[in-house]
Formats: sequence, structure tokens, C-alpha cells
Amino acid sequence: MIGLVKAEVRKLFTTRLWWIMLLVMLVLIGVNLTFITAFAGVTNEAGGGAALPARDTAEWVQTAWSSGSGGSIFVMILGVVMITSEYRYQTVTGTFLTTPRRRRVIAAKLITGALVGLLFAVVALVVVAAVVIPATLLSGGELSLSESRIPQVSLGILVSTSLYGLFGIGLGALVRNQIAGIVGAVVWAYVIESIFTAIPVLHPVGKWLPGGAAQALMSIDVDTGLGRPEWLPAWGGALVLIGYGLLFAVVASATTVRRDIT
Amino acid sequence: MTAIEIRDLAKSFGSVKAVDGVSFTVEAGSVTGYLGPNGAGKTTTLRCLLGLVTPDSGEALVDGRRYVTLPQPVTEVGAVLEATSFHPGRTALDHLRILCAAAGLPDERASESLAMVGLADVADKRVGGFSLGMRQRLALSSALLGRPKIFILDEPANGLDPAGIEWLRGFLRHLAHDQGAAVLVSSHVLAEVEQTVDNVVIIAKGRLVRQGSLAELTTNGDSAIRIRASDAATLAPALEAAGAAVERVEDGLLRVRGMDATSVGQIALDQRVVLTEVTQERSDLQKVFLELTGER
Ligand SMILES: Nc1ncnc2c1ncn2[C@@H]1O[C@H](COP(=O)(O)OP(=O)(O)OP(=O)(O)O)[C@@H](O)[C@H]1O
Ligand SMILES: [Mg+2]
Repeated sequence: MIGLVKAEVRKLFTTRLWWIMLLVMLVLIGVNLTFITAFAGVTNEAGGGAALPARDTAEWVQTAWSSGSGGSIFVMILGVVMITSEYRYQTVTGTFLTTPRRRRVIAAKLITGALVGLLFAVVALVVVAAVVIPATLLSGGELSLSESRIPQVSLGILVSTSLYGLFGIGLGALVRNQIAGIVGAVVWAYVIESIFTAIPVLHPVGKWLPGGAAQALMSIDVDTGLGRPEWLPAWGGALVLIGYGLLFAVVASATTVRRDIT
Repeated sequence: MTAIEIRDLAKSFGSVKAVDGVSFTVEAGSVTGYLGPNGAGKTTTLRCLLGLVTPDSGEALVDGRRYVTLPQPVTEVGAVLEATSFHPGRTALDHLRILCAAAGLPDERASESLAMVGLADVADKRVGGFSLGMRQRLALSSALLGRPKIFILDEPANGLDPAGIEWLRGFLRHLAHDQGAAVLVSSHVLAEVEQTVDNVVIIAKGRLVRQGSLAELTTNGDSAIRIRASDAATLAPALEAAGAAVERVEDGLLRVRGMDATSVGQIALDQRVVLTEVTQERSDLQKVFLELTGER
């Protein structure tokens, strides 16, 4: 199995997509952080409360820290491509000739997808820390790990980002078409999940989706102006995420094992 | 042990019977040509043999076992399939190193195998820039990674130039005759494999049409020689007197059986008859094959 994971890692790192995804993730997180930092504590024209807490508060640290979850979609796309490029370029023939026990191939891909997710999450967190810690300290804030929940948010980002790798692999195995898989992943993450997790009336459904469960795991507890979301408890979020991970692993395996490769 | 054994293999795609009750075997130390026109079912047979397609019925075994049950398949069987393809953004060496990792083989095998097919110079080039012939060689080198004793090759000559085909012929003969490997090679062009194979299996529309050794199928007693002569009326009785069966096809054209071209030429010289055309009629194998492929 170690050899198979090594093979999957090589597949990923011998093509260019991974660093393009990493770069786009960093840009996105950078833009996000710039916005969160620049508009921290700025009150709006109408004289209402600030949309974002001020830089010296624990809430701001928490909000800014959670932007580290921005890598999920890119890890999901990589997961989709890990499967669909095998069909697109027909390298799947060589893969299954070398390893005819296809479940082992799928297992290796899932492990690799999760590892890549972990790697992306670590990179994202390093960048976030490099911006947020100086920003809050320079603004006269204090860095309290417990109040700002940095450990919990970080754990949530690590776990959810790796699980999105599995989601991508499951989706890829299901649709097999690369474009369809990538479009599906983007629509899922940016349209469906954001609608269900941003609009309070939809929260009863949204909290059961991977995105909502990821939020629950991070226990983000900041009023975004649309009302305080009702997430599952953190452990519930973790269970839901793991459930999705297993579901997608089963889907990936079931759709691949008996299919004729012609 | 029989290296490759196909027994009553059948596979349908919807209503198309791609392979319909095919049986044959391939022994170590020999090259078997698997011939048939386009759509005959060659690729489907080979994919069943390699566990990529699940047959509806029958068995396809390598070394007496199903491919998917082999613990280390690439060390026993080297395969090149028609649709084997490569990620265009990956280098040749990286492609092979991935397979080495998956198969648990040492990484050195990758560059060794590239050298065996003459691709050492382009090891670090992206496959996207390779010609069809280079891709075929790369596919062949991936089949060599595990140093197997059984080779299953689907149209490996596709895209090779004449020099490449000549090289491939020599390579396959070397594998079978010097290294004792069993080689099963498919083609829809008889001429491509005729000089290489020891045995021939012909299929059409999913069914086995003929099989046997190349010698059996090509040297059958009644292959005839067509002769055009200046004075056929003199030549014909002389040939008959020497024991040949002569058929007078038309004015000046004879069909001679039971005598080789050298003897015919000698008799013509003795009779002072000028031969204007001497043609060995196509062998039975070629006839069978051309009838099937409609290329007459
Ligand atoms: N995946 C598939 N779905 C439907 N039909 C298929 C599939 N694969 C093969 N066939 C059909 O099965 C038959 C045999 O195809 P196969 O590819 O085995 O032929 P072949 O002998 O390899 O031909 P060629 O010389 O063109 O490579 C054809 O009629 C083909 O259309
Ligand atoms: Mg074919």
C-alpha cells in the first residue's frame, strides 16, 4: 500500500496542476485576508455596528483565522482530477494492469487525497498565521489561544480540508468526466453550500452539508449580520464530515471495481 | 505450463457479440499472431485476459491463473494495449517511475527499460511531444519493467515506421526464441507479423476462424504457380511430362501445381520457351485472411 500511495503522490507531483491550485489558493486567501484586515472594525455609513470586529479583538482573530479554510475547493478539484485524468488520458489501463485489485488503487488515492488536503491546510495556516498574528499584535490586541479558538479552528481546517480531497475523489469516480467533475465541485462549494450555509432559514439543511459541518467543527461563533448560525456541536460536525468521507470512499470504490475498462 | 489459455471466452457489449466462444493457447518460447479485421474482437479478448474487462463466460488465464489474482502481475505479464495512453504533461521517465512505485520495483528499472527500447535520450521529455512511434516504444518499455515472461501486445506495430517495425520484429523474436517468453501479438495486417510469428490465430466477428502454426497454414500442397509463356502450347505438355498438374487458364496463361518455380524455369529453358510472368499464388493463410478482411 505504501508503494501505491507513493505512485499516487508521484502522479500528482509530476504534473503541473498541484502548484497551480496551491497558487490560486494562496491568492484567494491573500485577498480574503486583505479584506478582513482592511475593513476590520470599520463602521458603515448608516452608523450601524461594524460588519467586522476590530483587529485587536479575539473575534477578529477567529474570523481571520478561519479564512484558512479557503483551500478546500482546490483540494476537492485535485481529488476530482486524481480520478478523472486517469480516464481522460486512459492511464487507468496502466494503473489497473499494474494493480488489478482496484480497491487498493482507490484506497491509495483516498489516502493521497487526504494527505494533499493536509499539506494544503498546513500551507494555508502558515500564511494565515503570518498575517493575523502580527496584525492583531500591532493593533494592540492580545493573542489568547483560548478566546480566539485558534487550536480548534486550525484543527477544523486541517480535518475538513483533507476530507474535501476524499469528496473530490468520490465525485470524480462518480462522473468520470473531468470538466463535469470540476464544474460540479465548484458549483457545489461556491453555490449550493454557500447558499445553504449563508442564509439562516436554510441552516437546518445547511448544517448537515460538508461545509456546514466544517463550520461546526471550527465552531466559528461570529455574527455575520445575517443572524447567528445554528451549527451542530463540534463533535457532531466531525462525525458528519467523517460520514461524508466514508460515503464518498464507498462511492469511489463501488463505481470503479467492476467497470469494464475498454 | 501453458502460458496463455483462452477457453470458450465470450463477451457482449449490449447486442454486439464482441467475442463469441474463442479458445486458443500460447506456449512459452513462441510468438503467436492474433489476427482479424477491425472490430473482430482482438482487443476485447486481450482486455479480458488482462482483467480489464469481465467476460460474460469462459476463462482467460495466464500461467493457469486469472490475471487479477496474480500477486505481482507486472513481473509475470507485460502488456501493451491499444488505448494505453500517457499524461501529456509527464516525462517518459516519470511515467515509468510511477509504475515502478505501484509495482514495488526499484526505480532504476525505469531508465533501464527506456534504454531497451531506444528512448534513453528522451527520458526527461514530456510525452505530449512524442510521436506515435515513440509512444509505442514507451508503452513497450512499460511492459518490460517487471522483466516478465509473458507478453500480450495489442497492435504494437501501429504507428511504427518500417525501421521501427523491423526493430519490433527482431525484438519479439528475441524475447520468444532467446529468452523463452510467450508472446501474443495482435494485428489486423498479416504482413506486419507474418515474418515474426510461429503460430497464427485468426478471428472475425468474435469467432475463431482458423489457428495453427505458420508453417501449417502457409505451405499446403496445392499452392499454385501462374505462368505466362511465349509458347504455352509447347510448355504445358513438357511440364505434365515432368509430373506437374497443368491447368490452361487462358491463351498463354497456365496454372501449375505440384512443382516449384525453379523446376518450371528449368523446363522452360530446356524447351526454349520465354516466360513473361511467374507468380506464386497467395498462400492459403493470406487467402483466408484477405477474404475476411475484404482486401482482395
Ligand atoms: N466498450 C464497448 N462498448 C460497446 N461496444 C464495444 C466496446 N468495445 C468494443 N466494442 C465492440 O466490440 C467489437 C470488437 O471490438 P474490438 O475492439 O475487440 O475489435 P478489434 O479486433 O480489437 O478491432 P481493431 O482491429 O479495430 O482494433 C466491435 O464491434 C466493437 O464495436
Ligand atoms: Mg483492437
